[in-house]
Amino acid sequence: MPELGNLALAIALILAVYSIGANIYGARRNAPDFIVSARHAIWSMCAMITIAVVVLWVALLRSDFSLEYVASYSSTTLPTAYKFTALWAGQQGSLLLWAWLLAIFTSVAAFQNRRRNPDTAPYALAVLAGVAIFFLWMLNFVTRPFDLLAVIPAEGTDLNPLLQNYWMAIHPPSLYTGYVSASVPFAFGAAALITGKLDDGWIRSTRRWAIFSWFFLTLGNIFGARWAYEVLGWGGYWAWDPVENAAFMPWLVMTAYLHSVMIQERKDMLKVWNLSLIGLAFGLTLFGTFITRSGVISSVHSFTQSGLGPYFLSFLIAVTLAYTGLLIFRSKQLRSPAEFESYLSREAAFLFNNLILVGITFAVFWGTIFPVLSEAVRGVKITVGPPFFNRVNAPLALGLVFLTGIGPLIAWRRTTPDNLVRSFAAPVAIGVATGILGAVAGLRQWYVLTAFSLGAFVIGTVLVEFRRGMNARRHMMNEPRAKALVNLVAKNNRRYGGYVIHVGVIVAFIGIVGSSFFRTEVKKSVHAGDSFTIGSYTLRFLGFSEVDTPHLASATARIEVLGRDGREITVMTPAKLFYVRAQQPATLVAIRSTPVSDLYVVLAGIDDSGKTATLEVFLTPLVFWLWAGGVLMALGTVIVMWPNVRERAAIATVLSRSSSDPNELADLVGPGGH
Amino acid sequence: MNIRPRFFIGAGLIILAIGYLIGNAMRTTSEYYLTVNEVAARQSELGGEALRVAGRVKPGTVNWDPNTLTLKFEIVPIPELDTGTAPIKPVVATEPVSTEPISFSVVAAGEPKPDMFAPGRDVIVEGKLGAGGVITATQVMTSCASKYKPKQAQ
Repeated sequence: MPELGNLALAIALILAVYSIGANIYGARRNAPDFIVSARHAIWSMCAMITIAVVVLWVALLRSDFSLEYVASYSSTTLPTAYKFTALWAGQQGSLLLWAWLLAIFTSVAAFQNRRRNPDTAPYALAVLAGVAIFFLWMLNFVTRPFDLLAVIPAEGTDLNPLLQNYWMAIHPPSLYTGYVSASVPFAFGAAALITGKLDDGWIRSTRRWAIFSWFFLTLGNIFGARWAYEVLGWGGYWAWDPVENAAFMPWLVMTAYLHSVMIQERKDMLKVWNLSLIGLAFGLTLFGTFITRSGVISSVHSFTQSGLGPYFLSFLIAVTLAYTGLLIFRSKQLRSPAEFESYLSREAAFLFNNLILVGITFAVFWGTIFPVLSEAVRGVKITVGPPFFNRVNAPLALGLVFLTGIGPLIAWRRTTPDNLVRSFAAPVAIGVATGILGAVAGLRQWYVLTAFSLGAFVIGTVLVEFRRGMNARRHMMNEPRAKALVNLVAKNNRRYGGYVIHVGVIVAFIGIVGSSFFRTEVKKSVHAGDSFTIGSYTLRFLGFSEVDTPHLASATARIEVLGRDGREITVMTPAKLFYVRAQQPATLVAIRSTPVSDLYVVLAGIDDSGKTATLEVFLTPLVFWLWAGGVLMALGTVIVMWPNVRERAAIATVLSRSSSDPNELADLVGPGGH
Repeated sequence: MNIRPRFFIGAGLIILAIGYLIGNAMRTTSEYYLTVNEVAARQSELGGEALRVAGRVKPGTVNWDPNTLTLKFEIVPIPELDTGTAPIKPVVATEPVSTEPISFSVVAAGEPKPDMFAPGRDVIVEGKLGAGGVITATQVMTSCASKYKPKQAQ
């Protein structure tokens, strides 16, 4: 079986190389046969990598410890679901997953572009195959998933206990999907540069890919935060660790990209900027993998170092140089005749939103690589911790939130003062009222007051927009309220889905602010019967119960939670786990979540006599809303991506007349504000 | 009317503001990240500075008092960090490693003992170096027992 995996990966590499040659030859010599052949090669490459993935999965499920990978990341007692997810627990498997996703997306892109984009698609597919070659090279020659052990162990060393968690089952694939799908818009951008077809065709052809990528990057980040919150047991969800930053930076850049491409589509501006952003997003996905896997930057998540760093760094540098070279080569053709006209325009709001997003990205990047830089330059490693990132990003976040309210309501080109008053009077009133209410309720931190006011302002602008649209439909179409609202969203899904995403971002932001500013914490060692209070809760430690299985031993503390009136609310059961195979302890946090605050109880320690428990209890207000905001963002993105009936009908009618690009048509009928 | 310069002013102001925020935050929040050997070499100049030290928990030195939540232990150098097996050499070896093993006492009060904390494990200690080579830690982080094996590249 492992031979089959190795063989499949070797053939996949050959096919990837062949597809590049066939695509470029076919495009240059105008030989459609070669283009078709290249497409088939890409699909076959995808089939080969799929075989490799299946082989590894089968080996994991059968606990075939003759494979080094299986012996390192699985065991006979590992629950079946986690044997499945062990595919991406280690380095070789992660890279295999990456290559597989890339092959799948490349195949889909090849299918979509059977007839579309005949000039650029072969080059875009060649770029994607080039990226695939890098990963297949690694899998074939550097970090091989199917290496055998000389001595077959009777038992595997098991999956890292921290990864035996359902969030960890879905977080890496989500993040990787987001990472890898960003290569498709990148490849089409590169193809535009190579061929000199520098209109916005590449943007329109890959808009759905960009949104798809953003969707999964969002989910990946939220799932990762949720995992940290539930598993790491320090009461927080984000620590600005290099690995977290690596996941966050592509998200920031993709967010900027999704906004700035709208300017190019409407105004034919910012061509260089958009091409740079997508290049940056792609580069950051590689950079993310590089720092996670290389150990160059010490992270709590990946302490050990692997030999992969130089390979990734070389590839990253090669890609950056080639892409920058192309940008410089085409720079004359990328000049845009259009100009910004007014600060009071949507272009301006988007431009500033882009600057801030890229600024945050730079700050995060700077803080992440600073230890390496300072060591190279000054010979001493200097790190910056979470305070650095918080201090820089907190004010920038306020600026972004403000622009989130302004951008969608302000007109393209320029806005009249009249228009401003009409659009913003009510939201500003809502924002100010929220601020005053907060101050009256006793909030004193200026940051919190500003954040809540601005948040309310943005939600106010969205409400105004929904109301305006709904009323227009009610009057014009004579629809009742609810129907008007549903139709409004269904018929203008890109625009109103975007608003839902904005609300999600704001809600998550409020959750972040609340949980960062108002968290309280009690640490205590207690005997059975002892009680203590946190906030309005009284906690009483009742005692331990213990369970032993061959896979896992656990000690669970029973803690009675009483409300202010002394009545029992619930019994919480945080636990200490011990994974037998890995010989590793872990913590099972108990969380009682409400929209107001989360009660978060960690059994931090049990003393040797087995009578005393060390408890760490956090009361974190509003953290609920971070997750709620995440759900809203996901929901909004689904609305945006939802196939629009009107759009499809319009595409169908126009397609029957000509063979234009459906995405282009989608844009014609998409509303998105004028 | 000349519009473009006006936009450069706006964009420039934003960029300056971001630059200022980064510079300011760097000044107030950066801390040295050192190995145990480096702390030993620079001990005299590090008194009172914010530090992050990567070291290994010396077996037999761990003392944990759950009642006061006080953890005391000694850290010794992590050999791998100082021998330069890493792709980018993380340490400038300022002195030959002496035969007398270098170690520092760490006292962390008010924090529970981390899960993975055990003798022989690698930890990152955040805190300040005080008199007598005692590091008063605000945080002790254990590294994930990440199993990514350093496969020697040819």
